[in-house]
Amino acid sequence: MDWLFFAEISLAGLATGGLYALIALGFVIVYKATRVINFAIGEIMMIAAYFFLTFAGGMQLSPWIALPLAVLGGTLLGGIVERTMIRPMLGESPISVVMVTIGLASILVGLAEIFWTADPQLLPEFLPRDPVFLGEIYLAPKIAYGFLIGATVLVLYLLYFRFSRGGVALRATASDQAAAYSMGINVRRVFNLAWVFGSLAASLAGILVAAAGGLSPQSGVIGLSVLVIVIVGGLDSILGALIAGLFVGWLETVAGAYFGGEYRMLATFAVLAVILVVRPYGLFGTHEIERL
Amino acid sequence: MRIGDAKQSYLADEALWTSTTQQVWFGLFLLALFVFPFLATPYLLYLACLVGIAVISATGLNILTGYTGLISLGQAGFMGVGGYTVAWLSLHTDLSLPPALLAGGLLSAAIGVLVGLPSLRVKGLYLAIATLAASVFLHFVFMEWTPVTGGTKGLSLRPAHIFGIPLHNDFRMYFVIMPLAVVMLLGARNLFRTRVGRAFIAIRDRDISAEVLGIPLLKYKLMSFGLSSFYAGIAGGLFAYFFRVVTPESFPLSMSIFYLAAIIVGGMGSILGGVLGAVFMTLVPELLKLLTTVVTPFYPEAPVIMSPLRGVVFGALIVAFLIFEPHGLAEIWRRIRRFFHLWPFRT
Amino acid sequence: MIGKLWQQGRRLAQAAGLAFALTASGTAAAQSSQQEPLVFGGSIPLTGVFAFAGIHIHAGLTDYVNWINAQGGINGRPVQYVMEDTGYLVDRSVAAYKKIAGGKPPCCYYGDSTGFMKAIAPELNAANATIMSGASFATAITDVQQHPFQFIPGPSYSQMFSIILEYIKSQAKDGKKPTVAFVCSDTEFGKDPIENGRAYAKKLGIDVVEEIVTKPGSVDVSAEVIKLRRKRPDYVIFHGYILSPINEFMVQMRQMGLDTKFMGTFWSSDKLIIEKMGKDADGYMGVMPYNYFDTEDTGPMLEAMREQARKSDPKQAYRPTPYVQGWFNAMVWTEVVKRTLDAGKPLTGENLKAALESIKDWDTGGIIGVPVTVKDHSFPVGRIYRVNAAAGRFEPVSDWIHLD
Repeated sequence: MDWLFFAEISLAGLATGGLYALIALGFVIVYKATRVINFAIGEIMMIAAYFFLTFAGGMQLSPWIALPLAVLGGTLLGGIVERTMIRPMLGESPISVVMVTIGLASILVGLAEIFWTADPQLLPEFLPRDPVFLGEIYLAPKIAYGFLIGATVLVLYLLYFRFSRGGVALRATASDQAAAYSMGINVRRVFNLAWVFGSLAASLAGILVAAAGGLSPQSGVIGLSVLVIVIVGGLDSILGALIAGLFVGWLETVAGAYFGGEYRMLATFAVLAVILVVRPYGLFGTHEIERL
Repeated sequence: MRIGDAKQSYLADEALWTSTTQQVWFGLFLLALFVFPFLATPYLLYLACLVGIAVISATGLNILTGYTGLISLGQAGFMGVGGYTVAWLSLHTDLSLPPALLAGGLLSAAIGVLVGLPSLRVKGLYLAIATLAASVFLHFVFMEWTPVTGGTKGLSLRPAHIFGIPLHNDFRMYFVIMPLAVVMLLGARNLFRTRVGRAFIAIRDRDISAEVLGIPLLKYKLMSFGLSSFYAGIAGGLFAYFFRVVTPESFPLSMSIFYLAAIIVGGMGSILGGVLGAVFMTLVPELLKLLTTVVTPFYPEAPVIMSPLRGVVFGALIVAFLIFEPHGLAEIWRRIRRFFHLWPFRT
Repeated sequence: MIGKLWQQGRRLAQAAGLAFALTASGTAAAQSSQQEPLVFGGSIPLTGVFAFAGIHIHAGLTDYVNWINAQGGINGRPVQYVMEDTGYLVDRSVAAYKKIAGGKPPCCYYGDSTGFMKAIAPELNAANATIMSGASFATAITDVQQHPFQFIPGPSYSQMFSIILEYIKSQAKDGKKPTVAFVCSDTEFGKDPIENGRAYAKKLGIDVVEEIVTKPGSVDVSAEVIKLRRKRPDYVIFHGYILSPINEFMVQMRQMGLDTKFMGTFWSSDKLIIEKMGKDADGYMGVMPYNYFDTEDTGPMLEAMREQARKSDPKQAYRPTPYVQGWFNAMVWTEVVKRTLDAGKPLTGENLKAALESIKDWDTGGIIGVPVTVKDHSFPVGRIYRVNAAAGRFEPVSDWIHLD
């Protein structure tokens, strides 16, 4: 058993898992507050990455400026989407709202093809290029630094949700809307805030993922593989998103390395199958108790 | 204008077409469907066959999601099972279309029941993801089980034959697809006049209450999955016979989303909604392409710019539809009918 | 800022439209002969995953048709190019074909994908009126029994691998067995040539030490790179990609200190890779059946192509390989139709097929550097080019290799 190989593969998997966790975070925040599954999260990621491409590549701005600007752009997009497309659907069946996000995804892909052409792109380099060596263990620089940035943001989010007023308002709205209203929380603002924060996480993740794996108008498909992670972790649990993201990223990479690339997807869905049998609402998800 | 709607027996009240006018119109419609292929161009005939297949599959999904409330993202996978079964039978046996199609439908139903098992424990969007997982798993099987499914290359079919007549062009396929679609639609409509159908609706509205009323949940949920997958399998089999080739890429996830969009835009919970939605989703992209060809003579670079615009317009249509009419096209149709019931008087 | 991009795009489109109108008015004059036009139909992917190539393929076909009509058409008959966008979806491609074939199938048709070519084969064979080729270099099309009226305008993917392997063999230093790794994507496109590639490598005595399959759209390939590090292959052959993740493999493996040489097939060997990767692309080698648009070679057809491209859009100084591929496709159609008409035969599928198979030692006027012969409905010829990042172009590093 080549332990060095296993360690390298595992680290690569965990780093990828960190990126998955960041995307899953975007999902979970939106679901937790508004009970909407955002199928367009992959496309929001893609648009944010294209913003970065324009700011850092076309306009030649320094990555220190381009990155926050691009993330801001993606965040604004999320806020606008909520206000114009999701707000009017308040009270409709959840499946209809899901359909709206699917329509939105199609719109965003078309817009990307119009404004940025369909050519495959690479993002301008903004992460350090030298490989990271932990002793003898090699770690690719892009995912290593991507993981660090993602992990920092995740921790900041966790702190925000636990301790700040906005975070508490979000958690209150998530657990009982009516009670939140009666406590004077502006629930509509909270919904918008949830989408804003979710899109922020997604935008950052989108830029990091595109930096590692390239960009094209079809890049949004990654959103669906994160769906699995969110189910494993629990649709409304931030901690679940984190842990499930790391675990699935690790398992996928190890399965791909030892059995072959075709088995990555199978490994992910095998985990899903197990979770559905053992803990169907996810590792940390809340099981809604239905009352007549 | 309709004045009064009195019936003298429960049977008459339950009828699908309650007035003579309706029956006449429906008869004319069937006649039009029969005459259509003799007058249509090959392209329109092709579209009609596609619409027929889409209608069958959308109705199946409507039974599961619209009437029983179990959201499914696995429709493409079930269609794939039907398609591959039919393809395999076409290559290894000499079965004619009806038994092969039936086999495809039944195998698909069996797999549907298997996939429906988690519905005992999870509901709503969690169940949707479980069906998505099943779809991905089926896709993996299609890709990797090369001796049976042909792997990434897929399978090519010989032309279908029925009572010895080979079905090698769209004209003949139309006369299989369209009657089958009509029959299956009528079957689905009839289902919801029976006890089973009403049980499905009860499960959708409040499954706990349904259980309290004595409806065994697992049995009926599995039945719903099985029936819906049967429809999907038949549609997939027809798809295979129509295109004469099946590959793992023939039944992608986007197809499941396509059918979900069809029933939501058409109107969940009504058979007409399924039909309207399938027609909408198949024909609107073609209409948008037609617009491109109309514009091109004036502006030769139009295709390059208008093509991505189509994706935008299509997505925008879906979003606009759902915001302004969440109950779909069927509801718009019902509103028009209500208007004309009392016309020239107003409500 | 988006507005500015939109404005630029519109201006470009307007200029192109004007140029097109000017050339179209020229062709209108040529169409004064009352001859029945020959139709070149096409299912073209102007949107979707293949749009980056489809747009240039469309330009290549359009420009060729304008050029041939300015020359008086084929045997005096004008050529008409009719196309539809398919978004690279098989059912849309089939719908486009049915619409364009309508009552009268065109003599030649461009198919945008392997899936489409397979799906339409039964109908094409029954119609016996059209010769079809397109963007697919799939090995399956060289099966003449199943696809009698379809061909590949170049080498199949398996043949591309064979050409690459021949090159590798020729570079082997005295008796040392070269080691090779295949890296492909988990799609029908990606896995197409792997089996044949394995067999051919064995035949040439080349060791295939690793076969990596990557999931399409994967975020990170460092795990695969780690696997390759252990095997230390001399060459890595990529297939099934356009840009990503080739750049990641190349950069990471070099950072690990490996001096592996990287090679790829048709769709990843265009200037796109130099543009996007910059100096990281240096040393990458690709197999290309045609001359690049900016090659130093000359030839009458090559000059005509460059002239026509300049006329249709003077702003684009360089046209990518899909453009040349579109142009060459139409060239082959013209040659096949011409041979059939010259022999006094009607334009049926069988006759067009016979004309295609009669192409032997055909001089392509500079598009391909050596005379070509059709074998199993493909043109198994290619040259290995290497990226010179400083100069920003591909430079040939081998002779033209024509498989027999």
